[in-house]
Amino acid sequence: MNKRLEQALNCEPSDRVPFLPAIYEHKAWFVGETPSRVCRDVNLFTTAMFAEYERVQPDALTVGMDVYNVEAEAVGSKVLYYRGEDSSVPALAPEGAVFRGSEDVASLKMPDPKKDGRMPLNLEVARNVVRVLGREVPIRGAVSGPFSLAAHLVGPEHLFMLTVTHPRLVKDLVGFSAEAIKRYGEAFIDLGCGVVIFDSQASPELLSPQMYREFVLQPTQNIIKYFQQAGASHVPLIIGGNTTKIIDSYLETGANNILCDAKADSKEFLEKCSKARRAFRRNLDSANFLEAKPEELRRRASAMLQESQGFAGFIAGTSVVPYGTPLANLLAIRETVQEYSRGG
Amino acid sequence: MNELDELAQCLGQGQTKRVADLTQQLLDKGVGPQRILNEGLIAGMAVVGEKMRSGEMYLPEVLQAASGMQASLRLLKPYLVKEGAQPLGKILLGTVKGDMHDIGKNLVGIMLQGAGFEIVDLGLNVPPQKFIEAITDHTPAIVGLSAMLTTTMLNMKTTIDAIGAAGLRSQVKVIVGGAPVSQKFAEEIGADGYARDAVLAVDKVKQLLGVSAQG
Repeated sequence: MNKRLEQALNCEPSDRVPFLPAIYEHKAWFVGETPSRVCRDVNLFTTAMFAEYERVQPDALTVGMDVYNVEAEAVGSKVLYYRGEDSSVPALAPEGAVFRGSEDVASLKMPDPKKDGRMPLNLEVARNVVRVLGREVPIRGAVSGPFSLAAHLVGPEHLFMLTVTHPRLVKDLVGFSAEAIKRYGEAFIDLGCGVVIFDSQASPELLSPQMYREFVLQPTQNIIKYFQQAGASHVPLIIGGNTTKIIDSYLETGANNILCDAKADSKEFLEKCSKARRAFRRNLDSANFLEAKPEELRRRASAMLQESQGFAGFIAGTSVVPYGTPLANLLAIRETVQEYSRGG
Repeated sequence: MNELDELAQCLGQGQTKRVADLTQQLLDKGVGPQRILNEGLIAGMAVVGEKMRSGEMYLPEVLQAASGMQASLRLLKPYLVKEGAQPLGKILLGTVKGDMHDIGKNLVGIMLQGAGFEIVDLGLNVPPQKFIEAITDHTPAIVGLSAMLTTTMLNMKTTIDAIGAAGLRSQVKVIVGGAPVSQKFAEEIGADGYARDAVLAVDKVKQLLGVSAQG
């Protein structure tokens, strides 16, 4: 088993900085298919995961493609899938939210990971990948964070409005979401996977730091504690955008690996994460990955790696890799990470 | 505090019902709809924009303010029509292909409408061809493209390129916005303008069309 990531998550020195590019919809590109087809087909999805590992050699694999839809769809929200060769990422359909806001949260169906929506499919993919690669590389299941799931149950705009007009309802909805996430995440853990939580709707680009504490922090702490007790030794929490303003809350969640997205202040993350002995993943902005030359990405990756200042808990990542990104570009970043020596 | 100042203040506090009540009171007193719009709503939303940029307000409060503005605009519209107020220009808005986020675009639409522009909203997940058809059908002065994801913002360039290939680029100005978008990105993809929030989008549109601050 590749121990590099494990060592970084423990903030212990390893042979090199781990490399974790955010490959979700781009998995489909590796098998010449669209995300809409791959995310609904066990065999294609499994093959895409193998292809990702073979070609990019990341230091962990994440089972997830349209990561924010799965639990919401299992509860009853409608997801829009694209036809033909359209490589757009499936998303919550317009008017697709299952919860209207006027009913009782208790009326929502708690999803069963064995039966509902694409949860069983994703778990099957995880089972297949663990069977073949489980001894080589850490494999994690992607789950929504509680605020992002709530947003997909009632609609993002509606949820943001409700935080002001009906805060109690939001807390109930986030609480329901947390329970659904625990069940889904535990099913991954039972298969021998880790779990990664994604909660970008709770980013301070949208929600105030005060609201994060009011609505999101405690349910997130509960989820992470639950996963840890269920056997996941490390639980990363991914919140995109500039999260510098919530870094203290972010650390309080108990996640032992947090995200310092491309817009966030890496100096502050380095200082606070070093002090708290908590790993963080720094993202290289992927906005120009499709057309950039490998040399440019090497330069940018090298500059990003310098930001680590030798911190053992530093993980090199990217923001979401666009579908169709040339393999040479991802390999240029990986090679730069491989060549980088700590403290260099 | 006069009622127009109170209207602006209530708008910033997200008091939707009070905003509607005050609007009606002002109309009943014979205050002109354009004055209510400029000194109440637009002034109030300008403060909201400043507070958002300084980190005093976040999306939930901004959405509340926008909701108040919409409520007020519904009351003002018949009066504005009666006054014969002409739109300052026509703006075509849409979230680009592959992107299902529309909060930002909707806010921009409300703000532009409040500032006196006519809005044609194409909704979300809009393919380039649909923008092209709408430019031909509606002859807007400006096309506003929105994207929320780093992966879909690339479709802004695709859309701008398609508008150019259709021979329509010289007929319209294109502005872009959305969480991952920046001034640098806007320049790189050949957009005419970028605005980081809905209030600044109104300023940018006015600047591009040579409309004075007062409208």
